Amino acid sequence: MDGGDDFGRLTRVHAWVAEHAGRLQLPVAERALCETAVDRLRMNGAGITVGDGSGWPETRYSTDTLSKRLAELQITVGEGPSVIVLRTGAPVLAADLDSVLSQHRWPLFAPLAVEAGARALFALPLRVGTKRVGVLALHRVDAGWLDMETLANSVEFAELAFLLLLDEQARSSMVDSELAAERWPLDSPQVHQATGMIAVQAAIGLEDAFARLRARAFADRRRLADLAADVVARRLRFDVY
Amino acid sequence: MSEARLVETFVELADTLIDDFDVIDFLQVLVDRCVELLDIDAVGLLLIDERGWLQLIATSNEQARLVELFQLQNEEGPCLDAFHTGASVSHPDLASAGDRWPRFAPAATEAGFAAVHALPMRLRSDVIGALNLFRPAVGELSEAAVRTAKALVAVATIGLLQERAIRTREILTHQLRTALQSRVVIEQAKGMVAERLGVDMATAFTALRGYARHNNRKLSDVAGTVIADSTAALELLSDPDHRRT
Repeated sequence: MDGGDDFGRLTRVHAWVAEHAGRLQLPVAERALCETAVDRLRMNGAGITVGDGSGWPETRYSTDTLSKRLAELQITVGEGPSVIVLRTGAPVLAADLDSVLSQHRWPLFAPLAVEAGARALFALPLRVGTKRVGVLALHRVDAGWLDMETLANSVEFAELAFLLLLDEQARSSMVDSELAAERWPLDSPQVHQATGMIAVQAAIGLEDAFARLRARAFADRRRLADLAADVVARRLRFDVY
Repeated sequence: MSEARLVETFVELADTLIDDFDVIDFLQVLVDRCVELLDIDAVGLLLIDERGWLQLIATSNEQARLVELFQLQNEEGPCLDAFHTGASVSHPDLASAGDRWPRFAPAATEAGFAAVHALPMRLRSDVIGALNLFRPAVGELSEAAVRTAKALVAVATIGLLQERAIRTREILTHQLRTALQSRVVIEQAKGMVAERLGVDMATAFTALRGYARHNNRKLSDVAGTVIADSTAALELLSDPDHRRT
């Protein structure tokens, strides 16, 4: 198959992921997909975040600490390529985060991302029609556009990531949806627990409580998860002013 | 046959990805256009449901409806043959088709039909239904009419399969979002309970789950109540039964 048509391309991407999974004895799931994407698309890291722009995004898998950091930074400051993808469902390709354009578009996220060591971030939606469920984020430490072949393959990696998520959902909903919901692995449950605690401490809504936590993390230049751990351990309170 | 009308019909049949798509309306359009464009007497359409059973979905008139129902009831007839084999089935003279379909042929003849042509609704190996074209006069359908009928059925089949695949994905996408959302809500509720009652997360979770079980409610529902009104957290420990379960 020459990969010229999209059906063949998706099949080929699937074969790459399956081959990698087979070699490392991994399930054909997020980890195998992200690692294969990094290898085949010549990226420095990849991650999958689930969410639909209205709720609370959750990072399902990151190949490396920078990838995880980029996802968390975007949640903290509330802007960045992945945030747009979750909100609109359209792909966002940032070939140079240090460019004037990127810095202007994401005044909070872009400088922090560059400082963390990333230069390019390609965010692709996991979606069906207008309904989206997450984002595949691919980053490089060097700036540069994707060539057509890499871009076409990236889109198929996102499509496959989406299909794998749906497969997993189909299996777990057949078992017991309530149990499946309880087992859903959260990236950082303490962030949500802290949000609940802050809502009570400051007598505000959960959205506002989450915003307070994120603003504090940004101002103190601390990781969201670390700050949340402090709140949960009752080393830090957010009382009414 | 007007070419403009034919093109219009193809466009109409390709448009399944609209918000208020209705499969019955869609197939009724297919059936009505077949009668109009192919110069035939009547059309009947059978489609499989979610469990794989053939159902009568649309017919162009009452006689066709009765004959199709008769086919289904007796599990015999050209539509069923086309469905099971995935190939077209035709007979130019139903009056002499008694050997092939001993129950269907006399019934169709009695309803006023002299010839029949059945087409499977098939895409690659997927057969999802079949279409029966009935004619009042003996003889084969013209080659041009068969070609047009096949094209109409192909477009309708692809549209239906695409619509089904996308609906399935949309349902799963919705479930996935709900699962994520309820998981997050449970953690937020734990935080609220922990803060309001001055307990740790493990105790807060035990209280939430104990309350849910005791009241025969879902954990995610109880968590939803707590985050909607955090004072509900107090209720969780008001009953000593839940304090250390």
